[in-house]
Amino acid sequence: MLLKLSFSSLYARLVTVGMTILAISVSLMLYMSVEKLRTSAYTSFTDTISQTDLIVGARASSVQLLLYSVFRIGNATNNITWESYLDLVSKEEVDWTVPISLGDSHKGFRVMGTNKEFFSRYKYRGSQSVSIDKGYLFEDLYDVVLGAGVAEKLGYKIGTSLVVSHGLQSFSDHDDQPFRVSGILKKTGTPVDNTVIVSLAAIEAIHVDWSTGAKIPGQLTPIDEIREMDLTPKNITAALVGVKSKLTIFQLQRWINEYPEEAMTAILPGAALQELWRVVGVIENLLLGISVVVIFTTLVGMAAIMFSSLSERRREMAIWRAMGASPFTVIGLLMLEAIFISILSITFSVVLLFCVLNLLQPWIDYNYGILVNIEMLAIKDMYVFAVFIIASITVSLLPAIRAYWFSINDGMTIKL
Amino acid sequence: MRKNIYYSLLLSALVTVSVAEETRQVDKHEHGVGELNIAVEGNSIDLEFMIPGADVVGFEYKAKSEADIALVKDALIKFDEFNNIFSIPSASNCILVEADISINQGDNHKDEHNHDEHDDHDEHEDEHDHDDHGEHDDHGEHDDHDEHDEEAHNEFVAHYSFNCGNIKEIDRISFPYFTTFPNSGELEVQFVSEIGSTSFEVEGDEPFIDLKGKI
Repeated sequence: MLLKLSFSSLYARLVTVGMTILAISVSLMLYMSVEKLRTSAYTSFTDTISQTDLIVGARASSVQLLLYSVFRIGNATNNITWESYLDLVSKEEVDWTVPISLGDSHKGFRVMGTNKEFFSRYKYRGSQSVSIDKGYLFEDLYDVVLGAGVAEKLGYKIGTSLVVSHGLQSFSDHDDQPFRVSGILKKTGTPVDNTVIVSLAAIEAIHVDWSTGAKIPGQLTPIDEIREMDLTPKNITAALVGVKSKLTIFQLQRWINEYPEEAMTAILPGAALQELWRVVGVIENLLLGISVVVIFTTLVGMAAIMFSSLSERRREMAIWRAMGASPFTVIGLLMLEAIFISILSITFSVVLLFCVLNLLQPWIDYNYGILVNIEMLAIKDMYVFAVFIIASITVSLLPAIRAYWFSINDGMTIKL
Repeated sequence: MRKNIYYSLLLSALVTVSVAEETRQVDKHEHGVGELNIAVEGNSIDLEFMIPGADVVGFEYKAKSEADIALVKDALIKFDEFNNIFSIPSASNCILVEADISINQGDNHKDEHNHDEHDDHDEHEDEHDHDDHGEHDDHGEHDDHDEHDEEAHNEFVAHYSFNCGNIKEIDRISFPYFTTFPNSGELEVQFVSEIGSTSFEVEGDEPFIDLKGKI
């Protein structure tokens, strides 16, 4: 009876109540999407590299080294020499190493020079490895393997010829030495998707006629001659390292960090990522804080709407009283109303959330490489909803008490 | 005979110069920040602490006064009993198989202090010898080591290896270290196991790390 009454009363004020519900659901959705993005970003970052024990690069902060070597964000301050790399390879703790060389680009996509071992050693999401979708890995000096995203966005197929640009944002191309697409990789959901992969020798080859960042004027070594040259790299950007025993990782890390001939840094990818997350965590908490404040504001808004509707509803309450409702029933009715509104808002916000996530997921994946996982609500969300319902009941207490006073003072006769 | 001395002096000077040219980099050293590396593999867990002297005894010069020597001695005894430094859940049945505690001078000169062989701390504190300080480019002569000692940044290095009956039971490691050494600041922890690596920053108000699902 009470339920029905409360519901019909809400229905009678459809527009005001509807707007309140909309405001609350949007703010709840904001909170939930921030939370979803935050967890998705974390898993997508941590899933990007696994089973690599150390990443070695020139002396840099661990976060910087991790960002440029794995996520292709930012740039290396320095390269490391091939001699130092060979020294590292010969250490007895080392099981395997994969050298990588960065610095050039193709139409905004980073070009990475590496060897074939990269494809078997680089692991993501636990133990998944990169696999070829079409074609084959590089066989010829001028073969290039594309990440799934590059092939898709540029519409390249096997056999397409392409030219690598010097640097990341420059207009000088290595157009004298065009490459040919030999293979396209399967989608991984990692930065590999947006990478153009060539052999280390190819990186060396395209820089044969270059000196200190510029093309030597008038010099053009014929391709046949380049093919005959010794194309062992002089330096590399970073190296992925696997050790034989985890117990020796720190020993090797110390050896690298204290390597006397060259200033190098070795990081544990997971440890550096966690370090990065401690920094990002501050911003995350800020975002969460803002959305909590937004929810609080809408709750206050709900109370305000209830207050303002009270004076309009004094007549309605007088009728309730006339029909035998006690002042406490009036309180109960208003609180029921708040519960109704919050449950409806929660339901609506969840629907809204899934619509928005489904709409934005491809866009976020495309632009930021973060795969937002759209899954059912977690237990944590239920807690949030419970807290929200309790909060809305608490907030509705104020107008309810006021209504109680109105109904005692007014009785059945109202002088408006 | 006299010539020999000249030659050896000349030689030592040359060596000093050449070594100084090759390695001109210094390890970071931050008071209030101790480092801890934890590695887990199979049934073994290794913990290696590198703690600035200031965090342990409140000073970093070579202990000379009796009070300072006593402090260092006391600190080393505390490191000897690992329960003063950290604790591992007893359900994991871990047995200490090796402990190695030493004092590392800021110049990579290690003052070995191995407790498997003997327990005499005094001897080790005093026997720090200066013959192999070739790296010191600012000390042409080997006489004024006192001055150098005043500048040294001593570091306590403690390495513990355990063998565990049930290593998966290690879901947390707590650090009585913070109460044992009131001067201590934070601990920067690097952790690695077959599952992957991670890092922690531990401070005295929450003196533990949570390793659930990480081993």
